[in-house]
Amino acid sequence: MKKIWEKLEKNQYYATIFKNPFTYVTGAVLLSVLQIALLASSGNPWGVSGPFTNWGAWIFEAFGGSVDKWFYFSSAGAQNTLNGGFLNDTGSIQNAGIIIGALAATLLASQFKLKKIKSVKQVIAAVLGGLLMGYGARLAFGCNIGALFSGIASLSLSGWVFALALLVGAFIGSKLLAKFFM
Amino acid sequence: MLLQICGRKRKWAHNAERIIKMKEYTLDCLGEACPVPLMKTEKKINSIEVGDVLIVQIDHSCAMKNVPEWARTQGYNVEIDEVGDGEWEVVIEKTK
Repeated sequence: MKKIWEKLEKNQYYATIFKNPFTYVTGAVLLSVLQIALLASSGNPWGVSGPFTNWGAWIFEAFGGSVDKWFYFSSAGAQNTLNGGFLNDTGSIQNAGIIIGALAATLLASQFKLKKIKSVKQVIAAVLGGLLMGYGARLAFGCNIGALFSGIASLSLSGWVFALALLVGAFIGSKLLAKFFM
Repeated sequence: MLLQICGRKRKWAHNAERIIKMKEYTLDCLGEACPVPLMKTEKKINSIEVGDVLIVQIDHSCAMKNVPEWARTQGYNVEIDEVGDGEWEVVIEKTK
């Protein structure tokens, strides 16, 4: 068994497909082709942060809360998705696929590692960053996938407006990063 | 002929001197996500002498791409060692 793994490690196809990172061009082509396939099969452009909002609502409901009166979930469509449950929400299945796929990819490349937390500062930054990203994505009706990537792919002007705001945000973010983490 | 040998000897002596003078620095970026390892590497490389070697320890696969890429555009010698599962050392020689 060990011999098989040692042989596999030296195989050039294994190295190119599973071990070495793809080039940016390969990644871009794959993303483009797959997002077209996703739009054709599910009827909706690709989005990531939207379904996470539903996960939040389901968790809140599991603890006895109710989001029926919340403006965000007030539309019939949103209520249908929530009542349909996880398995009937294509976006949720896609997100589960991203998580399982990422785990599979890192295991196949033999690069899985539990990383240590370096400092309390890192925890605060991660929690704050996550909250700001989630809140911002809902205010903007999408994240860098739903609003930027799918927006531009749908030839919508909003995607480009999002890109401009994203650049400004990334600039400010990198300044803050340099100030607090260097 | 004699002059040539002398010249070569001097060159060897010069190289040996360089190797002795060369210092090795380690930069611990384990547990740090992009772009922090790259920013720290850029900062650290400015503080070391030409000929010195900087070893950047990383465990974020995207740093395994952008740190060597940046160092190569600067014209430095770069080597990547996979030291464990999901852990790498990027060895950068500051050549100029």
